[in-house]
Amino acid sequence: MAELNEQLIAEMVRQVLKGMASAPAASGASAPASSGGKVTAKDYPLGTNRKDMIKTPTGKTLDDLTLDAVMKDSATFKDFSITPQALELQAQVAESAGRRQIAMNMRRAAELTAIPDERVLEMYNALRPHRSTFDELIAIADELQNKYNAKTCAAHVREAADVYKRRKLLRGDRPES
Amino acid sequence: MAEKKRSKRFETLEQRPVHKDGFTGEWVDVGLIAMGSPNDPIPSIKIAGGKVVEMDGIKREDFNMNEQFVADYAIDLEMAPKAMAMSEKEIAHKLVDINVPRTECTKIMQGLTPAKIARVMDCLNIAEIILAMQKMRTRQTPGTQAHITSATDNPVMLVADAAEGALRGFTEMETTVAVVRYAPLNALSLLIGAQVGRPGTLTQCALEEAFELQIGMRGLTAYAETISVYGTENVFIDGDDTPWSKAFLASCYASRGLKMRFTSGTGSEVQMGAAEGKSMLYLEVLCIMITKGAGVQGLQNGSISCIGVPGAVPSGLRAIAAENLVTVALDMEVASGNDQTFSHSDLRRTARTMPQFFAGTDYIFSGYSGTPNYDNMFAGSNWDIEDQDDYLALQRDFKVDGGNRPVTEDETVAVRNRAARALQAVYEEFGFPPITDEEVEQATYANGSKDIKPRNVPEDLKAAEKLLKEGITGVDVVKALAKRGYNDIAEKVLMMLKQRVSGDYLQTSAWVTKDGYVWSAVNDPNEYAGPMTGYQLSPERWEEIKNIPWAVRPEDI
Repeated sequence: MAELNEQLIAEMVRQVLKGMASAPAASGASAPASSGGKVTAKDYPLGTNRKDMIKTPTGKTLDDLTLDAVMKDSATFKDFSITPQALELQAQVAESAGRRQIAMNMRRAAELTAIPDERVLEMYNALRPHRSTFDELIAIADELQNKYNAKTCAAHVREAADVYKRRKLLRGDRPES
Repeated sequence: MAEKKRSKRFETLEQRPVHKDGFTGEWVDVGLIAMGSPNDPIPSIKIAGGKVVEMDGIKREDFNMNEQFVADYAIDLEMAPKAMAMSEKEIAHKLVDINVPRTECTKIMQGLTPAKIARVMDCLNIAEIILAMQKMRTRQTPGTQAHITSATDNPVMLVADAAEGALRGFTEMETTVAVVRYAPLNALSLLIGAQVGRPGTLTQCALEEAFELQIGMRGLTAYAETISVYGTENVFIDGDDTPWSKAFLASCYASRGLKMRFTSGTGSEVQMGAAEGKSMLYLEVLCIMITKGAGVQGLQNGSISCIGVPGAVPSGLRAIAAENLVTVALDMEVASGNDQTFSHSDLRRTARTMPQFFAGTDYIFSGYSGTPNYDNMFAGSNWDIEDQDDYLALQRDFKVDGGNRPVTEDETVAVRNRAARALQAVYEEFGFPPITDEEVEQATYANGSKDIKPRNVPEDLKAAEKLLKEGITGVDVVKALAKRGYNDIAEKVLMMLKQRVSGDYLQTSAWVTKDGYVWSAVNDPNEYAGPMTGYQLSPERWEEIKNIPWAVRPEDI
């Protein structure tokens, strides 16, 4: 794809809009506590326009993630991860662009950031057809809710358990399993 | 018995490549029909208590898992009564009408059931599908993607081909394997090569779902797309997933800051023997809506690996263009296929690509082969590297931005060499089997893996295991590059890792510039509204497309 030369123009437009819209946007009710505000599509891309709101899991800014910092081990692989706050902001961007399902996916994702890689992969595998009993799925939902405060994901797994029961997709529902 | 006297004309025609292709008549009972099967449901919707209680003639208690997921997550219940009350023809008209804004069309489309959408598509001829695609494409600027693979998984060839592919303008590049255990090394080659050729290029390694996620978690890939969904419950289960497991997987990717799209395509259900007599397009619409419902930003479709099936039936290539259109009309990114060999006929394979090429899509190819056909481990693409100059000529002939740019031999050789050298250094830093200067030289000037001496495969595979076992990450790659003086490449790999922190490229139809700026449907929405609107070639870009190096320059005569 051709490089766009419009980055500067976009930046200028954004500055102008910023000046015009000095009044704050509606309510920040669903904004994460640490971000202190709501964002919309106008703030996008956040990594360029809202650097102030984007932090690594250890609290560093994007500008802290330099080659020098990596070489001195003051920025490690752990820093190159997305936080639940950033995912919530991206959910807001998606929502303001009219994409509610993407926002929902981002919010499920925000909950999953707390779960270790291995466990999250196990949970995915447990959701595959004929892998788990109803009770096993409910146990995962409980774990999501109680251990990780992942309420949306817990509801997702509970719903899957019900559907799998109705459609005979649980372990033991097939003669060979 | 005397032999029937043959017409020399017909004997000649029978020798043409198109006669080697498979063609078949429609066979409704097994779903061997592109669009409009008599077994497709009749569109309907009933909503009660904030839930869909009947969809396309099926009662909620009888919904299979796909239907339930679509009914609960993919249909805008506020819009549905109004949208479903419109005639199919009226909606089809709106899709091609330059006076009806794209945003209005996507709202209507999101209020429709699968059977209704399939019928709307059946109202459009191919020229109308192209017009509608131009208007409905999600991101305004079109783009394209490459396959970069090697028949011998040769890491030096892969890094050089990735560098060249990025230089040629592919904004995403996808690899896979000949030997599965090579996967981490292939991902590593693409990661480095891409940043040498054109910083910002996104790379992925297509393999089994869980592995793709693991390799992405390590920072060795930036995105994934081979996350398959299917239209019938039986085939979905054969594929070892459900809409709920796949939606969960989608969230796993986002939680690790990785871009992803799903994959589906007409013909997969027939090929797996369980199409239930439904048309290919109707089943594909279910896949597209499952993707929508899962909150995934985009979809790779256009039949993909099952192209032989729709390619064989009447109106099959039209159905493929229609499935791309449904994806963008539901406001998602489309990587529109053109990525698998399906015909022996050069005429046919060119024609198959033209609807996406003329209209422009988010990714015209979900895999233009950046290598010779024999090196393509996705069973060959519809276009290979040998066709690249034809492609550049077509961009120029029609004044179309197909996403590629003419390159010179000198600059290409230079990026191939630099990428191979950088990988040589990284292998040494990691204690992997050495890459010799001879291999670097061969990969620099090679066309395909036949032009380079074979590697010691068992030793390479040990290195691949080591990479996984020792938990080598993208950050380790940055360090190795910088230690060996490749600071500029290290900076760019670092830039790609930083994308995971902001998550900007998780938005719909995102790509990254050489400076790390992210464009997507959020800040580059398609605003086409007729001639002289929407995406326009910049004067610089048109100069670039015009200047194919082998054209005669009048000023030189």
